[in-house]
Amino acid sequence: MCAFSYIGKRIPKPDAVEKATGRVIYGHDLKVPRMLHAKVLRSPLPHAHILHVDTSRAERLPGVKAVITADDFPPRRFGFAKDRTPLTGDKVRRVGDEVAAVAAVDEETAEEALELIRVEYEPLPAVFDPEEALKPDAPLIHEERGSNLFRHQEYVHGNPDRALDEADVVVEDVFELGYMQPTPLETCFCLAAFDPSGRLTVWSTTQIPFLLQRDLAEALGIPGHHIRIIQTAIGGGFGRGLDMYSFEPICVWLARKAGRPVRLAFTRQEEFIAAECRQPMRIWSRAGAMKDGRLWVRDVKVLLDNGAYVSWGTVTTLVFMETVGSLYRVPHARMVSDSVYTNNPITGAVRGFGNPQSTFVVETQMDRLAEAIGMDPLEFRLRNANRPFEETPQGIKVTSCGLKECLEAVAERIGWKHRHERRPQEGPVRRGIGIAATMNVGGGARIYRSDGCGAIVKVDDFGQVTVMTGATEIGQGSDVIVAQIVAEELGIPPETILIVNNDTALTPWDVGVHASRTTFIAGNAALIAAREVKRQILETAEELLEAAAEDLELRDGFVVVRGSPERRVPFDKVVRARHFRQGGEVIVGHGWYDPPNEMVGADGKGNISAAYGFGAQAIEVEVDLETGKVKPLRVISAHDVGRAINPMYVEGQIEGGVVMGLGYALLEELQVREGRVLNPTLLDYRLLTALDAPQIESVIIETDDPEGPFGAKGVGEMGTNPTAAAVANAIYDAVGVRITQLPITPERVLRAVESRK
Amino acid sequence: MKGFEYYAPETLDAAVEILARYGEGAYPVAGGTDLIPKMRYGHVAPQAVVNLKRIPGLNRITSLENGGLHVGALVTLTQLSREALVRERYPVVAHIAGKMASAQVRNLATVGGNLCNAAPSADLAPPLIALDAEALIVGPEGERRVPLEHFFTGPGATVLGPGELLTAVLLPPPQPHTRAMYIKHAHREALDIAIVGVAALVRLAPGTATCQGARIVLGAVAPTPIRAREAEALLEGAPLTEEHIAEAGRLAAQAARPIDDVRGSAWYRRKMVDVLTRRAIAGTRGEGGDLT
Ligand SMILES: Cc1cc2nc3c(=O)[nH]c(=O)nc-3n(C[C@H](O)[C@H](O)[C@H](O)COP(=O)(O)OP(=O)(O)OC[C@H]3O[C@@H](n4cnc5c(N)ncnc54)[C@H](O)[C@@H]3O)c2cc1C
Repeated sequence: MCAFSYIGKRIPKPDAVEKATGRVIYGHDLKVPRMLHAKVLRSPLPHAHILHVDTSRAERLPGVKAVITADDFPPRRFGFAKDRTPLTGDKVRRVGDEVAAVAAVDEETAEEALELIRVEYEPLPAVFDPEEALKPDAPLIHEERGSNLFRHQEYVHGNPDRALDEADVVVEDVFELGYMQPTPLETCFCLAAFDPSGRLTVWSTTQIPFLLQRDLAEALGIPGHHIRIIQTAIGGGFGRGLDMYSFEPICVWLARKAGRPVRLAFTRQEEFIAAECRQPMRIWSRAGAMKDGRLWVRDVKVLLDNGAYVSWGTVTTLVFMETVGSLYRVPHARMVSDSVYTNNPITGAVRGFGNPQSTFVVETQMDRLAEAIGMDPLEFRLRNANRPFEETPQGIKVTSCGLKECLEAVAERIGWKHRHERRPQEGPVRRGIGIAATMNVGGGARIYRSDGCGAIVKVDDFGQVTVMTGATEIGQGSDVIVAQIVAEELGIPPETILIVNNDTALTPWDVGVHASRTTFIAGNAALIAAREVKRQILETAEELLEAAAEDLELRDGFVVVRGSPERRVPFDKVVRARHFRQGGEVIVGHGWYDPPNEMVGADGKGNISAAYGFGAQAIEVEVDLETGKVKPLRVISAHDVGRAINPMYVEGQIEGGVVMGLGYALLEELQVREGRVLNPTLLDYRLLTALDAPQIESVIIETDDPEGPFGAKGVGEMGTNPTAAAVANAIYDAVGVRITQLPITPERVLRAVESRK
Repeated sequence: MKGFEYYAPETLDAAVEILARYGEGAYPVAGGTDLIPKMRYGHVAPQAVVNLKRIPGLNRITSLENGGLHVGALVTLTQLSREALVRERYPVVAHIAGKMASAQVRNLATVGGNLCNAAPSADLAPPLIALDAEALIVGPEGERRVPLEHFFTGPGATVLGPGELLTAVLLPPPQPHTRAMYIKHAHREALDIAIVGVAALVRLAPGTATCQGARIVLGAVAPTPIRAREAEALLEGAPLTEEHIAEAGRLAAQAARPIDDVRGSAWYRRKMVDVLTRRAIAGTRGEGGDLT
């Protein structure tokens, strides 16, 4: 294998110290002259007609500069299903629906103005359970649709009905999965300003700058080319920023009406009520296997609660389907899903995007099947593991694949073979070990017409390399990854490269930071651009060094003749030589990469990603039989990432993913009753603290993917996918109860333990 | 947050005068870790906020002549957890004080605030009640003492009348042969509110395993912290056998009047009172945990 100069190096994030010491300027910190503060009046009711909105008293309050209602907006809709307007005029469909908004000189005045707005509601019967919502007499959330069913999807390969008969063993469970919030530390933020010529600039925490530009244009009727999105330093994303929310067009419209810049920032409570959360699902699942250890069939039915409006989150069923149809070799599979409207909070994208849910189901049942045929759960998995370069019946073209290696690595490190020796068999506290694997898109995910990203690499007269990339940085380190890739190609230290990545007026298009795609897609785009720059440099260096391009290499800031290190010319000198002469030109390279993947067809088949990441986790837990409390003790997480461009960041993604996965497994639950969030605070919506996080060991498996930049695949979401299943399997190992509901609260464990008695 | 008048009196008399003037509309503020979030969320809207931190002397821990301890209302949780006098005489109090909330919150949060906020889950209440602590109250009519057990009257409600302030908690001298344990049961290791809290205090007859006196105090399972008197009575004069301990757990669970909320169901809370009472009593026998 060739040695790299900068790929595989642990280069720390340049903004790490600034973030840790509180010096980074986030969106929330921004102030511009004449800036106003916006507040949104939200519906207290889950479902009601709006009879009348009276804003006159609010308008008269000194300090109020603009008040808007639905009437102020052009009659345009937005959202994945075009089922929303920024402010709602006819009726409210969820607690928190946006009814009116105010811009004032400060937040207090804006809040006071909200209290002066009178809204008359006529309450309507509401529906909070997706099964109820599908009944013929259920109240309709969107009357014009005629039904609360948003989408019915069916996927099948093989012959599941026959296979269920054929299988030697079949297990069946019902799973009930709750709401999870992405909970980035920085809440939703938007600052909108028009310049005198009518052009709009929006400072935003979005994860999809170019789609936001388009969505705002569509929602408001502003020409798209008049909209510029600038991303501020983003205090976490986790999927929260993958849809345009109402507050964004609201903020823009207030700025327009007031003729002044307007800032809108969510309180934490608002974040819990109005930011999109992971969709709750009810899942009926059967799985079958043969006594000889062959996985035979899966048959899954999913009921997904969209909430009051449909977001991109509804596409999670596609990702769910990948796991059902292609994680492990399964000859027969079926999945039927219904996405349903209710009067509940809006659900959307959260890290893993359907995969934590499906992996919980699939990996719980892998354990159950292994037990039913009397086989070791690890062996059962290894037998059925995906292999490199095989196409699944779903049309998924697996290329590099280290699933087997991942499973073996975690089993080895956790001490799988000897797990039942030396552990307490008495007393209230027992120990157990569980294992689970995951497959995740790792080479983009084509859910939009383009899955591409662009990059421009330019070199100035002093040799300064600047990369303009569409890749959004949300703390994961895409800025440094892109720099490392360009640095490797150009033979200059990555620390010297400038990255411009936050302004739609400067950077080429990108679909957004989602689907663990940035290293793979933006990395390839940057690599293409860097290769073009390299070509230009070598072309000129050929003349300067009187050597053929094939004999030249870029190293340590020089162009060097291979084998004769004394024949070399500094990088910047080549740049100037190319520029300052008759007919000269400056060095700029452009790269565009749209991966060779395809949209999933109506039949649910298709190669959605150009590469797939694989991973496995082994988790040891302690379970208190008397209190039901589960304490994770140790997590081993192994991931096939193709190649680790920066192992430190891979570990960061894995560890963060595991902690989020443990939150999903054990603690995090937005409690929603009758459409109301009961715990909209960080005290009662519990993320793990450092004290709750167990020891986590990351294992990196490299398989050198043929399509990835320097062999790399995505890792952003994988760490969070298998955790809940591994925890549930460990609990079963410890105390013999199967929990099929998330999160696994002490109370749920205790009830299961008691009902077993 | 709504506007309010802000006062920072420098004497106790001035504070009492301001509080009495505003009556119900005035709120003292100490660390503000309970009050400020409540104001933010609009749960309370004070007309006046009276900062107590300029009043000298309220943040001291001093030994009493009888061997007990005077803990000023403005003593922070950090102070309480580190002060040698507390750690030596009432380790059960020092221990929980050092585990509540988070380091940053503990640096602000005060003893008086924890008690006057009167959350049924307040972590200092069960161990302090188990130790027979008293509340020292100053008001327009002068000073009075109330056993802490009778200080709470409901969620967020205490015996404090208009113009009255808690100035200190008085701890009686530690008893010989007495050990106590408080178990906080919460979802997280830190930054969490108790689902259930149970304090057990047991005084053994010298050289025996016979219980001479007991306190079992339950938090977060009734509108106020409560004593499980039947469980206490059962233990008094009896040997601390497995059977007695188990029976005490059952009786304590019967005494609880829990509700369903976001932290746990009534069913679960009652179960936990049983389990934690048994564990706390057993803990006082030195089988793990930390004691007084
Ligand atoms: C993140 C977080 C975690 C927390 N964790 C815990 C925990 O683990 N356990 C726990 O029990 N609590 C916890 N709390 C609650 C809180 O921190 C404690 O109750 C704290 O001790 C309150 O003290 P304070 O000085 O901040 O009170 P303040 O907010 O200043 O006051 C609280 C109330 O008491 C009144 N008051 C204050 N002092 C006096 C006085 N001397 N006389 C009369 N009235 C007075 C105030 O008017 C107010 O109504 C937590 C809070 C937060 C924000």
